[in-house]
Amino acid sequence: QDLAKKNTANRQVVEQRRRLLQEWLAWRESMIEMLKEEGAEIELNGGIVKKEDGETEETEEVE
Amino acid sequence: MRPILLSGHERALTQVKYNSDGDIIFSVSKDHVVGAWFSHNGERLGTYHGHQGALWTVDVDPTSTLLATGGADNTMRLWEVKTGKLLKTWEFNTSIKRVEFSPDGRQLLGVTEKRSGHLSTIVVYEIIPDPEAEQTDEQSLRIVCDESKATVAGFSYLAIYIIAGHEDGSVSQYDAKTGELLFNTQAHEADMQITDLQWAPDRTYFITSSKDKSAKILATDSLEVLKTYTTDTPLNSAAITPVKDYVILGGGQAAMDVTTTSARQGKFEARFYHKVFMEEIGRVRGHFGPLNYVAVHPQGLGYCSGGEDGYVRVHHFDKPYFDFMYEVEREQANL
Repeated sequence: QDLAKKNTANRQVVEQRRRLLQEWLAWRESMIEMLKEEGAEIELNGGIVKKEDGETEETEEVE
Repeated sequence: MRPILLSGHERALTQVKYNSDGDIIFSVSKDHVVGAWFSHNGERLGTYHGHQGALWTVDVDPTSTLLATGGADNTMRLWEVKTGKLLKTWEFNTSIKRVEFSPDGRQLLGVTEKRSGHLSTIVVYEIIPDPEAEQTDEQSLRIVCDESKATVAGFSYLAIYIIAGHEDGSVSQYDAKTGELLFNTQAHEADMQITDLQWAPDRTYFITSSKDKSAKILATDSLEVLKTYTTDTPLNSAAITPVKDYVILGGGQAAMDVTTTSARQGKFEARFYHKVFMEEIGRVRGHFGPLNYVAVHPQGLGYCSGGEDGYVRVHHFDKPYFDFMYEVEREQANL
């Protein structure tokens, strides 16, 4: 019976972690979407500022 | 791998920072000197001399061109990283406790200390990211913190907000254009000072550490507390690791603050928690005094800590660090 209890407890811990991970990943995805909509290039690039000489006019997108 | 010890400072470290490439570490200390070191081998790259008092804070711009420092001599200074040349000195009535560049490096903020007759402020300057340029004397923004003094502050993603942590344990969100206080929340225990605020790489969330022995992750937009990491010691610093979902916490009680005789050396450890699950996963010891600051390599390859003991310890993460995964993480990765 003790073993059964322990297994249930373990299962609950794993379930809880699974839930936390799904919540986190969903929130992260929504934040990345938001940054894309805002055109936050530096932030989406992990804080790295692209050097100016590496940029050309070709990067401009026509909508 | 064994940690590398940077032993060039004569007094307690107050802040350490990697540049965006992760190859250089900048350190500031109560000994008035700014140090620059190669992160891979700990070799000293140079020092920056000029401050006349203890240094509290350092930051480097995203292109590793300009370095900002602030300290007890009531000045905030701008340096050329490459040559060590002092480019600009801004003078204030009180100490500068924190400096930080905006994500694009075109703004610099400073947090000024509160002292009789002077309220704590957050000041912002527009920066020209060119060592040859004449930098401005004009503040583009000045926020007066009349409720509780600011201890830490930084720019959000796209520099939309300035987020500040306060002496009273609260966190504020200001409009970074107008300086208007948009929102304030009691994130940490009342009257327990917020000691550090560090950003996630994309600045949509950040971590705060507090004397209340906890660290918390808050969402930049809502200031909602998303995660709480509870420890048994007052915290001075907290950092978020990229690549792996961990946070690193540093703190410890200074010997003079410890009332019992058994000041266990074990309290002076960097503590690793899983960012999402909020569970402690490991500790790294080594310092002989409290950890005043922890900084993470921007590509997640290692971390460094600056101690009250006067040392900077640089750690490169081993394979097991990267391999470690919770079962549910493995599940997720295999989807």
